[in-house]
Amino acid sequence: MPQQDKQPISPDMMIGILKATMPFQVVSEPLLRRIAAIGWKTTFRAGDTLYEAGGPADDLFIVVAGKIDHELQPGVHARRPMKTLVEGDVFGWAALLEKVPNRLAKAVCTEDALVIRINGEELLKVLESDPNAGDVVMSRFATMITRDYTVPDLIAQLRGIHRKLHARDPQGMNVTLYRVSRWLKSPKPYLMLIGLSIFFGGWYLFVEVLRLPRFREMPGITTVVAEWMSPNPTYGLSIYTGEYYQHILVSIWRVTQAFFLATALGVPLGLFLGWSRKFKDLVFPVFETLRPIPILAWVPIAIVMFVATESAVIFLTFLASFFATALNTMLGVESIDESYVRAAYCLGSNERQVFLHVIVPGSLPFIFTGLQISVGVAWFSLVAAEMVSGQYGLGYVINTSYTTVKYPTIIIGMITLGAVGYVTSAMVRVAGDYMMQWRLRELAMGAN
Amino acid sequence: MAARKFDSKALAKGVFSILVFLVLWEIGSRSKQWIALDAFSWLRDMLEAFGFRSKYLPWIGAIPAPSAVLVAWKDVLFDAGYWHSWYMSGARVFGGFIAAMLVGIPFGLALAVSRTVHGIGFPVFELLRPIPPLAWVPASIIFWPTQELSIAFVTFLDAFYTVVINVVGGAKSIDVRFFQAAQSMGSSKADIFRRVILPGTLPSIVVGSAVGMGITWEVVVAAEMISGGGSQVGGTSGGGLGFFIWNSYVGGSYEQIVVGMISIGIAGYISSELLRHFGKYLTPWLRLR
Repeated sequence: MPQQDKQPISPDMMIGILKATMPFQVVSEPLLRRIAAIGWKTTFRAGDTLYEAGGPADDLFIVVAGKIDHELQPGVHARRPMKTLVEGDVFGWAALLEKVPNRLAKAVCTEDALVIRINGEELLKVLESDPNAGDVVMSRFATMITRDYTVPDLIAQLRGIHRKLHARDPQGMNVTLYRVSRWLKSPKPYLMLIGLSIFFGGWYLFVEVLRLPRFREMPGITTVVAEWMSPNPTYGLSIYTGEYYQHILVSIWRVTQAFFLATALGVPLGLFLGWSRKFKDLVFPVFETLRPIPILAWVPIAIVMFVATESAVIFLTFLASFFATALNTMLGVESIDESYVRAAYCLGSNERQVFLHVIVPGSLPFIFTGLQISVGVAWFSLVAAEMVSGQYGLGYVINTSYTTVKYPTIIIGMITLGAVGYVTSAMVRVAGDYMMQWRLRELAMGAN
Repeated sequence: MAARKFDSKALAKGVFSILVFLVLWEIGSRSKQWIALDAFSWLRDMLEAFGFRSKYLPWIGAIPAPSAVLVAWKDVLFDAGYWHSWYMSGARVFGGFIAAMLVGIPFGLALAVSRTVHGIGFPVFELLRPIPPLAWVPASIIFWPTQELSIAFVTFLDAFYTVVINVVGGAKSIDVRFFQAAQSMGSSKADIFRRVILPGTLPSIVVGSAVGMGITWEVVVAAEMISGGGSQVGGTSGGGLGFFIWNSYVGGSYEQIVVGMISIGIAGYISSELLRHFGKYLTPWLRLR
């Protein structure tokens, strides 16, 4: 090829030229200086061919003066393959493309031209050393290629500085680690440690060291832990005994049955109470008459009604959950913006569609609040029911341990109950978050 | 919170529906009598086929009829022991409730105001909260010298949780611009507490205590049932409404159980309403909305 001589160029002039181009317009002075250091200038005569399609794509060109015809080969799918390049235009960008080692176009000088050449590999190295600025340059290249050369397909192949940048973004595990380290840097965990040690230390000190009058009767923390973790428990209940898990499973099974029964009956009832004025006028007074009666007051009646104690316990647990679920569902329906319902009717929905696509999803947030309350009260009344009547279950453990003077077992039962109850509420919360991702996003956007 | 207009139509419907409910209950309970008739032999066969007792309708047939309950109530109405149960339960509820207010409101405010107190206190609070209050009954009987105190403690505990959670939540929901405005106009910390935080949390304190009051009634009944109700205080029927119910159950007078249930419902309703009115009086600015 003719006129391939490379001549050095003064950096100040080069920076001036770069600043006038689309991709390098916004680059900072120091980075421009480094780019200028790897550039050369070359002159071409009219009629010279700078490169042919298929030739090696090594350098990037910038027109300083003169005119150059640029014709993209058909395989590139450019909408307008022909283009005349003048002062300030950048071409030869195939040198920056990832999977393209060869020229995609033919460039012919039509008027004596002065151009600047920069080696593609070297330019990328410079850009990678400053990923933030490099990312900007590459995305401006992408814009230029789409807009000026009408080639949209190739952008993905622009050798991604930004891809490297994104690989360093915190993701998944990194986010967790980042949060943990942030948390560790805040005073929170240390204050928490102080709080917990005051609590457990106080328990230990009052009960086992100082043996204060009233505390002496209580089981101490070391006794409880030793009993709980012992393979040979003095009072017959520890993490090594099968009975322990049997009690847990029985309680969980009862709560599960009651909870699902309450959800299956409470949610529809609540939906209808909120949906139909007539239905509410007729049913709600009875509902509100029965609701203030404490669940525990139902215990003897439940025992009389259900011959088996098992169904009595489940009935009591169910009852509390049912009221909470139905009431919250009703409130949820009433909280729906009237204009949603009207909009749906205006768009031609029938009653059934409004119910399924407006009322049900609209009340979901309240329903899940209700379900969380419902799990809580289910455990509350389960314990009560098991304490009064029942065999097996954690409430039963606590009560019989009291009557048979197995004091450390009471505390084991209490702790287990707290842990199991916490886990079940957390499960309901997670299920709710999963089902209402639209709402989480809404909340997150609101927080921004 | 506009006051709902008195709606006589809705009231009529409500009364009607409760009447229908009572009639159905009466019929269901009386099934012991009418199901024995020959005309209902098909129903008896069907019940038997489903595995129920054919002597009465399942479940509801075992409950005393409302008319029988009313008769039992009339008998008990002039019994000093019945009213003493009201008094006992009420005293325990209010004792536990007021203690929960006195401890819970300052504790909740301290959690809301100081990051250090929150950091130290809240994890412990959250650690203990999932344990249902009734699970504390045996431990509290062991710990407290008298049964009266142990019942009051359990009642206190649940109202305490509810109040604290509500106070902390209420303080968190205060618009941060109020603080910024107060600060930029030169308020001291004490002023901010007195003029921003306190009125800002007051509505949630009111809500929390109304909810807490409801739960207190639940707990007091349970605690009385489980612990035997401090029966030494007022004779066999004087140990509180929960004990009144339990005693009726043990004594086999099922009508009195229902009387006790309704009494507790009424008592809980009255105390919640009282509290709500008191709360409205405390937060007059909410009435304007």
